Order: sequence, then structure tokens, then C-alpha cells
Amino acid sequence: MNTAMLLLLVAFAAPILALVAGAIQPRLAPSAAMLGVAATAAVVVWSFWQPDSSHKTTWASIYGMNVELTLDGLGRLYALLATGIGFFVVAYASRYIPLHLHHQQRPLSHQTRFYFFLLLFMAAMVGLVMAQDLILLFMFWDLTAIASFFLIGYDQQEEESRSAAMMALMVTGITAVLVLIGSIMLYTEYGTFSLPAIIESGEILGASDWALLLIAIGALAKSAQTPLHFWLPRAMAAPTPVSAYLHSAAMVAAGVFLIGRFYPLMKEIDWLLDIFLFVGFSSMLVGGIIALTRNVLKQILAYSTISQYGYVVFMFGMGGSYGIKGASFYVLAHAIVKSALFLTAGAVSEATGKKNLSDIGGLRRKMPMLAIGSGFAAAGLVALPLTIGFFKDEIFFARAVELGQPYMTMDVLGASLTFAYIFRFWTHVFLGREITEAKPISGWLVWPVFSLGIITILGGVWPEPFTKIAEGAASVTAYSAQHLDVHYTFDPIPENMMAVATWTLGLTIYLTRRKWWRLATGIAHLGEKIGPAHWYYKGLNGLNALSDSVHDYEVRDLRSRVVSILVPAGVLVAIAVVITPNANSFEIGSFEQQDFTLVIMLVAVVVSGFVVMLLRDHLRLAIGLSCVGYSLAGVWAFMGAPNVTLVAVVVETILSLFFIGMLVLMPSTILRFETQAEGDRRSMPRDAIIATIAGLLVFFVSWGALSRTSWNTEVIESQTVLTTAVHARNVVTAILADFRGFDTMGEITVIAITLIGIISLLRSGRLR
Amino acid sequence: MMTEQTPPVVPHGMIKTGARVFLVPGWVLALAILLKGYADIGDGFAAGVIAALVVVLQGIAFGAEELERIWVARMAPVMSLIGLLLAYTVAFVPTFFGYPILTHFPRMNHHVIHFGPLEFITPVVFDIAVFLVVYGFCVGAMLTLARAEVRHQRVLQRLRRQTGKRGNP
Repeated sequence: MNTAMLLLLVAFAAPILALVAGAIQPRLAPSAAMLGVAATAAVVVWSFWQPDSSHKTTWASIYGMNVELTLDGLGRLYALLATGIGFFVVAYASRYIPLHLHHQQRPLSHQTRFYFFLLLFMAAMVGLVMAQDLILLFMFWDLTAIASFFLIGYDQQEEESRSAAMMALMVTGITAVLVLIGSIMLYTEYGTFSLPAIIESGEILGASDWALLLIAIGALAKSAQTPLHFWLPRAMAAPTPVSAYLHSAAMVAAGVFLIGRFYPLMKEIDWLLDIFLFVGFSSMLVGGIIALTRNVLKQILAYSTISQYGYVVFMFGMGGSYGIKGASFYVLAHAIVKSALFLTAGAVSEATGKKNLSDIGGLRRKMPMLAIGSGFAAAGLVALPLTIGFFKDEIFFARAVELGQPYMTMDVLGASLTFAYIFRFWTHVFLGREITEAKPISGWLVWPVFSLGIITILGGVWPEPFTKIAEGAASVTAYSAQHLDVHYTFDPIPENMMAVATWTLGLTIYLTRRKWWRLATGIAHLGEKIGPAHWYYKGLNGLNALSDSVHDYEVRDLRSRVVSILVPAGVLVAIAVVITPNANSFEIGSFEQQDFTLVIMLVAVVVSGFVVMLLRDHLRLAIGLSCVGYSLAGVWAFMGAPNVTLVAVVVETILSLFFIGMLVLMPSTILRFETQAEGDRRSMPRDAIIATIAGLLVFFVSWGALSRTSWNTEVIESQTVLTTAVHARNVVTAILADFRGFDTMGEITVIAITLIGIISLLRSGRLR
Repeated sequence: MMTEQTPPVVPHGMIKTGARVFLVPGWVLALAILLKGYADIGDGFAAGVIAALVVVLQGIAFGAEELERIWVARMAPVMSLIGLLLAYTVAFVPTFFGYPILTHFPRMNHHVIHFGPLEFITPVVFDIAVFLVVYGFCVGAMLTLARAEVRHQRVLQRLRRQTGKRGNP
């Protein structure tokens, strides 16, 4: 087994392991989850010493779909983020989630679900970063959306969580469909779903630029870029470990990963790169400015994430060797520091019981380790020297220097906003006087933050391992070997000057906050009033209202229901009958002597049909209807179709029982009222006309269908011959299970769904 | 239709006896139709309905509570879902090995292990899945109807106790 397949198997075994362990004993779930993540992370780390490995299995060959996985440099980077950060988050969650459930008075058994979906997300992410087949890529992409829905909506009893989960699913799910459409468009242009094959062709064919735009929209929505960024701040309703994981290292990273995966194609389209520049810069600004005005800890970090991924998208827009290398390195550095800051926010809220920045202060004495760990991370985010973050900004600046003055200005502006809000975040939490007293918290809420802080510093003094990882990813993204070398220089090179300018400007922005505070809050307020979130809610409410009005009309009474379903169906069937060529239809065949018995049975069917018309009592009606069915079964028997007869008899019996069972459920007063009600004489001609038209339509449809000589003897003969070849002696069963097995599968699916419908309708009491 | 004028119908002793007597032979018949369906008349669909009929008969003869007591009746909805999963397994697993969807094994004209009329081939597994889905649907739907009726009667009884008179709300 090669590395790629091994990684996929281990990754998907992890959620199952957590689920099984949690089912046995909820307390075991965290340990099992940690084991699963650690094993997956170990495989990822080990893979760095292995050559790129591919796995290809033919899946649905007629559609050109394959299970095509490659663990390359790009895949390793994102798999390392998903599993490495995942490990720290799971360790943190092992203490956090029980406390969280305790606060909410929920049983401990609910934590199994948390680990299952978190690890499912991780596994989907690992699959996503290795997938080379566009359909497979889409499947993993959608799986991340589904897992994130359950994670964001983990506090299902709270309305806010549910609507946040719904919003995230709507935004990332609808745009995921765009990714699928884009993939299919690529398939029609290139004739393959295999991404390496498409990239190898080396040119943009036909409408593929539009396909890539659709894919880019999906990616930008996932990375919470403006104007589709609004779901991210609301997704902070999730428990802190979810925010730390999804919104620093995994879900939002998936978006820029996708851009990185398609970048060899995307970089050929200049206007697409311009879109990246515009979207990236506006996300940097919008995220940065709003982050400055937020008071809730996690909200600051959420807007910060929007802004930081704006950097990455901006770098993809700037392109060039430094742009690509910078984007890879940035994602790596950002994931480490941002997850540490999210976990800090959770730990601080747990200790003080407060969520707002204004209620928290001076925690450095009570929580020194947390202050140091998150201080390192904050220093990393604002790119101070001796942290990994310093280099992320250096490469970012280096590309801007290549491109000239306007880009340098934009870079410094964006980076100084980051400096200002992170400075505000960290100093307000840890410096100053203590506002709310902090109670001691478990070391498991601190050490993951501290370790991530140490990693931030490690990357600052020994950047080689990190640059190697970024190099590997950038080589895939650029589709050519890349080399990344970073080091400190004390010369006044432009990058260093830009860094100094950033710190100065950032500090100035922070210190002059009283001057611009009202302006920034005004912008944030305006965004809420007329921004995309406003239109999202408007659109959602409009759809709801439309669906309600259709539903209300449909279920108003029996007549409107019949009108809304049966009449359109009848009209469609009538149109079909008219436009179908009817050369051999509507013929009356010859009458042979052996058909005599058949006719007798058919007379019985007709008689029971007429009897049903005269009955009024519901029970007798049910029995009368079953008489029609049994007579028809008799017809089948005389036609020499024992299989069909058997099924007809048993089905008729069980249907009659269902009928009676449902009658029992109905209020007897209504049944009696219906039975005794006298029909309105004035409407009788109208009813008769409607009934005649409907009856004639059904008659002609049946006649047309049955009199067409579709007895294609060749098919019958070949199926009869094949029946023995497929080890059957009963041609009907062979058709049901083998030749037309796909139909049967669809039918039993409908049956199972109907059962679920019946159970949920009768359980929730909507019928009663 | 049960109204307050008509006393509840108590099933005749013969129905009860018949229900019990037919239970096991009914299942044997269903299983026979199911397993040798590939060689003889019948298939999973018919077998599923027959198996369901004899179980539903227990409910008719002994009341809805009897259905709760019988394991195969109580588990019917679950069996339906298991059947669906089984069918999907037979359908989709071949796709992982490069075969089209619903490829059956052993392949055409290959050797098949027999046990009497029973053949060890994947179409039979698929037929068993159909059996489970159909059986689960029939019994599951009847069970749900019966439960709803029992709940309804309880509500009526409670209302009658509260109002102190017999009424049909």
C-alpha cells in the first residue's frame, strides 16, 4: 500500500474509532480521537521523507471517473495543518468540551458527536488535499461542508448556532455546486476529470476560464472572502475548539488550497488574477477595519481571519514566484498563530466567564503561561522578528516590491491594520488592571496554546523546516520547482523598511483610536445594514415566504391538493399521449379462443370497478377496491405470469390492510359525515364531465401503451438465454435483480424513504 | 371504524389460533420463496410481503401491543434501512474495483456454489436486500399506524376522564 492510500485509510478510520469508543463509553471518545489524529498526523509527517505517492483506481470508467489520489507538496502542507493543528485542538477540546456541556446542562455523551464530526472534517480535508480527480475533489469538498455544518451547529438547542450552521452551509454549499459545475465544464473542454492531465495540456481551452471562475468563487466563499465573508463571524457561535480548527487551519484553508490546486491554470487568466487582487485587498480592509471595532474576543479573531486570508488571496493575485511561495508560507504561519489565539480566547472566557474584551484585563498575573504562549502567537501574527510571522510578511512585501509602489502601499496598509487589532486584543486581555477575576483552569487549556506559541518562535529562529514545507507546496502551485530561502538582514532593504513602517503605522492606528473609532464603527454598521448578510437574510426570507405560500395553497383542502398535483400530472400525460407517434398504437388485436377465460376475468374486473362506484361506506370501499385488484391478479394468472400474480395477490392484501389501518386512524365523525353527505345535485353534471375526461384519458393512455407491439422478441430471447448464463432459472427474478437491478434499487430506495416519511408524519402528530 | 356506540371488536378465537399457527409456516414459505427465487417462482419482493402479512396478522389477532413484543416486528424499520444499505453495498462495491455499478458475482458462466436450489451469488444478496426493505416497509408502516392509534385512544381516554363524560373531541 502506498502512502497516499494509507493516509486516507488512517484518516477515515479516526472518526469511526472515536464514534465506536464514544458508543462504548463517552469518556473514551477524547482519547480515541487523540489517538486517531496523532496516527494520521504521524503518517503525514512520515510522508515528508517519502517521494510523492499516487494511487489510481478506476471507479466509473464510462464517465472517466477515477479514485485518483496524489500526496504531493501541496497536499502535505494542508494535510499537516489539518492533522497537526487538529491534534492540539483535540487535546484542548478534551477538557473544554466537558466544561462546555456542563455549562449547557447537556450529558457527556454528546461529546462523541463532536469528535466524530471534527475527525470526519479532518479526514475529508485529508482526502480533499490528495484528490486529483475533479469529481472526487468535489465529494471531499462537500463532505467538509457537511461536517462543518454539524460542528458549527453543535449547540443545537440554541437558535443562533442553528442559523449560523445553516448560513455556513448555504454559502459554502451553494458555491460548492459552482465548483461542481466548473469541474463538469472542464470535463467537457478537456475530456477528462483528471486534474494533472488537464494541467499538463498547458492551455486554457474554450470556456475553461469561466469554469475556473466558478471554481474560484467556490474557493473564495470557503475562505470567507468579501462579499461572501459574512458567514464566518456568525459561525463563531460554535464552541471554541471548532472555531480554532475550522476557522484557522481547516475550513477556510480549504478555499485557498483549492486556488493553489488550480493555480497552474488560473495564473494564465489575467482577469481572474485581477479579481483575486481586488477580493483579497477588500477582504484585508473590511476584515481589518471591522476587527478593530469588535468587542467580542472571537469576533475580533473571526474578522482577523477574513483579513488574513485576504492576504493570501491577494498574494495569489500578485502572482510570481514570491506571490506563490508567500501564499503557501502564509497559510502555514497563520494557521499556527491563529489557532493559538482562538484557543486563548476560549481559555480566557472559561477562566473569567466573560466573552467581551471590555470585561477582561490584566490576566498576565493569573495566567502567565497563557500570556506568554499567546503573546508569542500574537507577535507572530503582527510579524515581529524572531517569530515565524516575520518571514510571512517579508515574502509578502518582497513580491510587492517587485510590482511597485501601489502594491507596497496596499501591503503596508493591510499589515498595519493587523498590527493594530492584534495589539489591541492582546494588550487588553493580558495587560492593564484586572477587571474580572479569573478562576484557575485546567492545564490542558493552556499547554496547546503554549506549544503553538513555542512553534511560532521556533519558526522564527529556525525557519528551514517551514520553508521546506512551503517550497514543496509552492512547487505544485507554480507547476515548477521553487526555492524559498529566508533569513534576517539588518540592511535597510525595502522589505525591512516596510516592516518598520507597518509597526509604526499600526501602533499609530491603535494609539489614535479615539479619533477614528466612530468612523470605523460606522463602516461596520453600514456593512450590517446594506451588506451581503442583509441580502442573504432577505433572500432566505423571500424563499421561505414563497415556499410557505405554495405549501399553504397546496394543503388548504383536498381539492387544492388534487388540483396542484393531479391536474399538472394529467395535463403532462395528455401532452405526452398527443405528441407520441402512434403508428402501431390504438389497434384492436385478434381474438383467439384461448383468450376467452381472460375476458371472463376482465369482466370481473369491470364489474368490481362499477360496484366500487356505488359504494359509500369507507370500509366497503376499501374491500371493493381490493376486489378490483384480486380480479386483476386473476387476469395475470390466466396470462401465464405466475410471478406477477403472486406479487399482485400479496400486495393487494397488504394494501387493503393499510387502507383499513388508515381508516381506523381517521376521526369517526368525519368518516360518518362523508358517508352520509348528500352530493350537491347542481354540481353533478360538472363532476360527471371531469370524471369522464379523466377516465377517457387513462383509458387512452393504457390502450396506447398496451396495444403498441413492444414485444421485442429479440430482447426476450436474449434475456432468456442470458438468464441461465447469470445462474438464474427464473427470468423475472433475473431481470429484477440483475438486468434491471438499477431500477429495483431506485424502487426500494423510494420504499425506504416512504417509510421514513410515514414514521415521521405519524410520530410528530401532524396528521392528528 | 370504532365509534363509541359500537363495542371494540374482539377477534375471534379462530383468528388468534390461525395467526399463531401460520406464523412459523408463513415465514418458512417467505424464506423459501426468497432463497430459491432465483431458480423458481417468487422473489424478494413477494417474500417480503408474505413475511410481513403473517407478522401483521399477529397484530390483528392480538392487538398492537403484541407487535411491540415481537422482535422482528419492532425492528422492522431498522431492517428496512439495513436492507437498503445491503442493496447499496451490492450495487456500489463493484465500482471500487473498476466494474460498472451493480456488477454481480460470480461473473457470467463462472462456477457457482450450490446448496440445493440456493445459489451463492450476489443477485441473491440483492434479493435479500429487497426482501428486507419490503418487509420492513410493510410491517414498519403498520406498526406506525398501530402506535398512532394506541396513542390516540390513550388521549381520548384521558380526555374522557377529565371531562367526566364520554365524548369524541
